[in-house]
Amino acid sequence: MDQMPVKMEHLLHELSVLPLSEGAGFSLTNYMFWLIIAVVMVLVFFVAASRKVKLVPSGIGNMAEAGVDFVRNSICVDVIGPEGKKYFPFLGTIFFFVLFNNLLGNIPPALPGTGTVGTTFTWAIIVFIVYNAIGIKKLGFFKYIGSLVPKGTPWWLSWLLFLIELISHLLRPFTLGVRLFANMYAGHIMLGVFAAFAGIFIEQLSPASIAIVPLSVVMQIALRVFELLVAVLQAYIFTILTAVYIGGALEAGSH
Amino acid sequence: MDNLGNALAFGLGAIGPAFGLAIVGAKTIESMARQPEMAGRLQTTMFIALGMIEAIALLGFVLAFAI
Repeated sequence: MDQMPVKMEHLLHELSVLPLSEGAGFSLTNYMFWLIIAVVMVLVFFVAASRKVKLVPSGIGNMAEAGVDFVRNSICVDVIGPEGKKYFPFLGTIFFFVLFNNLLGNIPPALPGTGTVGTTFTWAIIVFIVYNAIGIKKLGFFKYIGSLVPKGTPWWLSWLLFLIELISHLLRPFTLGVRLFANMYAGHIMLGVFAAFAGIFIEQLSPASIAIVPLSVVMQIALRVFELLVAVLQAYIFTILTAVYIGGALEAGSH
Repeated sequence: MDNLGNALAFGLGAIGPAFGLAIVGAKTIESMARQPEMAGRLQTTMFIALGMIEAIALLGFVLAFAI
């Protein structure tokens, strides 16, 4: 078992952000490389799907239509309300970007573009700016800030409520970014740890290792399936929380 | 032994969210059994709650690396 720290260090090195080319200054990192591939895949997928639009879609068009329908109906309209359709372009972009990145990360040599803090926090900050802008556009700046405190709160309580609400709003981009990053990063570390265990037991051939290696392989497959679930679920949660924030900003004046 | 603090930070930090997730899951199943026609909306709300609780556990995960 004394090889475990070496293997862990190797694993964490593999998962860290590394520049592809040598030298100082701006350079493409390994995560950005896979992120660009995922974005190109989104583009190719939707261009191919919208080539021949039919009343009854088939094949790839069917897949794209099911995805778009899911985002529009069970995220935009269900969470924000009938006016949620207006925000479909934004929410759909987030959903398919995150989904394709997460899923691509499950193919072994690829890394998830969302498994790095840079990508997820950039999206989280964009979401923060967009939902506040929507709220400010609807209510005006001072009314929107004032709407953090519910109407009818006694004056001696309002400053405390305002402070609590302000902190919870400022924490939103942070939790949004950390959630997606940690899920993708931790999932890959977990897969790596089980693979490292299998490697160690194969190297030290003994009766015990013969019993444990199949278990580790089965675990590896089970975790892969679990990671696929997590990839879809995290894309869903990221999008639905964005929808909740936008819905909250739109309703801010009414309570 | 050097990493014991990190492991404890995440392990202890995961206890609370674990209880939270259990309560959310159990109550959602209970509600779905009582009112199957509400299942769709309950599921959406459940995922929102799940995401918020999960964030607490993940803060522990990040802190474990930061210590």
